[in-house]
Amino acid sequence: MPTEHLIIGILIFVLSYATIVSEKINRTIVALLGAILMIVFQVLSQTEALQHIDFNTLGLLVGMMIIVNIIKRTGLFQFLAIYTAKKAKGNPIRILIYFSAITAVTSGLLDNVTTILLIVPVTLVVADSLKINPIPFIISEIMSANIGGAATLIGDPPNIMIGSFTGLGFLDFVINLAPLMFIIFIVNILIIKLIYKKSLIVDPKEQKKLMDLNPHKAITDRGLLIKSLIVLFFTIAGFTLAEFIGLESATIALFGASVLLLICKIEPEEILVDVEWATIFFFGGLFILVGALEVVGVISAMAEALLQITKGSVKITTIVILWTSSILSSFLDNIPYVATMIPLVDKMESLSAVDFSPVWWALSIGACLGGNGTIVGASANVVARGIVERDNRKLSFLSYMKIAYPLMVLSIVISTVYLLVFYL
Amino acid sequence: MNKYINSEASQHVMKLLLLGANVQLVSGKMVYVKFTLENDIQVAYVYHINKKNKYFLERIKPYPLPIREFDTADEVIDIIQLDFHQYENAAKSRKIREFINLNKEMHSVMKSFEDLFLYYNIPEASLNSIKENVLKAKETILEASKSANRVFFEKDPENL
Repeated sequence: MPTEHLIIGILIFVLSYATIVSEKINRTIVALLGAILMIVFQVLSQTEALQHIDFNTLGLLVGMMIIVNIIKRTGLFQFLAIYTAKKAKGNPIRILIYFSAITAVTSGLLDNVTTILLIVPVTLVVADSLKINPIPFIISEIMSANIGGAATLIGDPPNIMIGSFTGLGFLDFVINLAPLMFIIFIVNILIIKLIYKKSLIVDPKEQKKLMDLNPHKAITDRGLLIKSLIVLFFTIAGFTLAEFIGLESATIALFGASVLLLICKIEPEEILVDVEWATIFFFGGLFILVGALEVVGVISAMAEALLQITKGSVKITTIVILWTSSILSSFLDNIPYVATMIPLVDKMESLSAVDFSPVWWALSIGACLGGNGTIVGASANVVARGIVERDNRKLSFLSYMKIAYPLMVLSIVISTVYLLVFYL
Repeated sequence: MNKYINSEASQHVMKLLLLGANVQLVSGKMVYVKFTLENDIQVAYVYHINKKNKYFLERIKPYPLPIREFDTADEVIDIIQLDFHQYENAAKSRKIREFINLNKEMHSVMKSFEDLFLYYNIPEASLNSIKENVLKAKETILEASKSANRVFFEKDPENL
């Protein structure tokens, strides 16, 4: 590999990464431009570039986005929100707990951003009906979405990427991460409850009004709801059985999406236009950017250097990856971070010839939970703030961080103990 | 941005459903059309194109006037063209500004009348008096049209 290709490759990668982090230019444009520049400057060929795109990740994302785009038309979330708010008898703390639990579970089955896009609007309506501040609910929901998303293969993009690369399946994620995320969710919710217990007071008159609402009115298409839930059920079942039936997760998601498109009687264009194509292209660009670093040998060099620092110890590597990932992910977009770390960890694994599974779990936990630290730490957080701001409310960086950052650090402490006890 | 609009729409739908409304979200494109006449009078329209092949056209300037629903894009363009030609022709008159101001005044009267019946219990006598004055104004308009020269011939007037 000529030295100029190495220098150009590193330069394009660093510039692209810095621009993505600065958020001055749309991240999809930067990733695409960076990827194309890698090809233009012959750091890697077009064929090599395409080989580095993980189409399993992209297929899984597109498939799930299609399924969700159809489900959200049924009014299911509006129904769930009103139903649970009534079950909570309009008690705000109970509503906060129930909504957070719904968010965590849903986030495990759908991706975090989608979950936030579904739960935050209904939360705003319920908070508006009760005439209370929605911000405590939103903070709790953001954190629950990131925690729930970390529990499964399909819950958070870093897990999708890790699963796709390593071959770790839906069940592997559930068995290894769901118990930990359950503990973290409980601890998190108990602390949030303590923080907001005294500030969330509702006028009994408003509580009575909420009790008069009829959740069934929120269901806009019962037939479509039943069809969508059946398809979602079989898709999730397909994920859990993927390794036994020998299918990749993207095949299962796209099969579910195609069947639902066939039976939903909605114009496909209408559904496909709502797929987040910008995110899909962002992933594509990133895979090429990181692939170029692999081709020029940077990833191998970094892996060797990291192994020297950790002296090849899986225990030290796991803890270092967990904490580094969580701290970096709390300020940076965790998707490009994980995209870079995957080949790095893979290279370290191949060089050290020991079982590196704890390191992969540490990467997943750190990247997913780290996103909870600040309002810019994960896409779900940014989207939640966007919705809140469109509702003429403010969720500032500091007001979120002072609640969320200590909770994020606590979740990483719990994760450290979990990994040390069960894996190291 | 699309995701934020969808999320806001879902809030609206939920609030309206809870009020007991039947709500339908119709995706499409909003087209905003603006012409500026020689004497700086603006004529503007807005219409919505959607997959149901229904076009909702409304004139918003120089004063708002709901036009109606159309079945084809050509019909919408034809109506805009005709309406604009009417204004283009009317703008040649020195009395165009007075005409527009008077029309705005009549709209304001309509709004006052709406408030009257929404907010007050009006005695029969007051209602009759208003009716009498409206009919008188209508008669005056009709008489004015008979005694004046017609200046626009692309289409016959619909209300006179």
